[in-house]
Amino acid sequence: MISRQEFLVRARIEHQTLEGWMAAGWIIPPQTEPEVAFADVDLARAQLIHDLRDDLGVNDEGIAVILHLIDQVHGLRRSMQHLLEEMREAGPGTE
Amino acid sequence: MSEDPYAILGVKREATQDEIRSAYRRLAKQLHPDLNPGDKKAEEKFKQVSGAYDIIGDPDKRGRFDRGEIDASGAERPRERYYRDFHTADAQDHAYANAGGFADFMEGDDILADILGRGSGQTRFRMRGPDMHFRLPVEFTEVVNGATKRITLPDGGTLDVVIPAGTRDQQVLRLRGKGAAGIGGGPPGDALVEVEVRPHPLFTRKDDDIHIELPISLPEAVLGAKLDVPTPTGPVRMTVPKGANTGRVLRLRGKGVGRRDGSRGDEYVTLKIVLPEQLDPEIEEFARRWQAGQRHDPRRGLEV
Repeated sequence: MISRQEFLVRARIEHQTLEGWMAAGWIIPPQTEPEVAFADVDLARAQLIHDLRDDLGVNDEGIAVILHLIDQVHGLRRSMQHLLEEMREAGPGTE
Repeated sequence: MSEDPYAILGVKREATQDEIRSAYRRLAKQLHPDLNPGDKKAEEKFKQVSGAYDIIGDPDKRGRFDRGEIDASGAERPRERYYRDFHTADAQDHAYANAGGFADFMEGDDILADILGRGSGQTRFRMRGPDMHFRLPVEFTEVVNGATKRITLPDGGTLDVVIPAGTRDQQVLRLRGKGAAGIGGGPPGDALVEVEVRPHPLFTRKDDDIHIELPISLPEAVLGAKLDVPTPTGPVRMTVPKGANTGRVLRLRGKGVGRRDGSRGDEYVTLKIVLPEQLDPEIEEFARRWQAGQRHDPRRGLEV
């Protein structure tokens, strides 16, 4: 788990920025009690938001849309992978 | 990285900072690894582009680069894992998983919905019951003619399994909806019944045909005979022609394994001449006196 302080340093964002992202539901820390803590996936997501905003010039409205669509693409990719695995496993002799 | 950062971003050396920035943004939008989840090469290209932008996107560094004070090597931006790396098939579940892209496919109760449901992490709505596996020993003649068998389940219930004619050893029969009950209103799983065909003392099977070895006596072989031959549907009278030899194969059409379309394979009868265990003096005497038999060489053509 990653502490709030370490998270801010590694994601290169301000305290206020992180609060805003959490309030918007862009970052959902897996632990909030007794104090907030983050996982590696949250850090990677923060870096993605950072890239979108600072490097690609996406505004806040756009970021919400992009995150939503990216998460759906990943959901579809995982389902597709499960489907492909299942098809590969389905051995001969089954009908 | 040693390539010219201007070339990588596709801008002229006299480009303005704004032009450089918009060139970088255009490329980054195409190449960012999180916007290309399935493209392994995107990461490498993106590294180059962002490394180039790190140099000439900054007016101060750009000036030093243009004067030859720094070169383009080592400028690649170190990066921890990308967001996409947390969405691989073996990745842990997390709060961001989203089934919105395929939730409508899960409304059915088929195998596809089941598989998609498994992939969707915590957004799973309901689950199909697990499949149940059984092994069912059956007699040779039961798969030849088809049969219905009853399995007693662990909970005391029973399951009737229709064994279609022509079922092979180790074939798995799927009985839809006969597995364990579903969870959260999901459909039940399937019962998978592996058929184990017991060998038969007389018959062997090859695809849809049945083979049997039929012992015949010397007089039957020499003189010919009408004999009763066992088949899976009961004995059948067959004519053994005069002079039939060991190894001769006769066919009983339609006496083999049943097929789905109602037709049947054939039964092949391989003859085997068997002498009596106790030899009779009469036949010994005959063999000794039989001139033509002494001249007959059944091993002709076997010389090496």
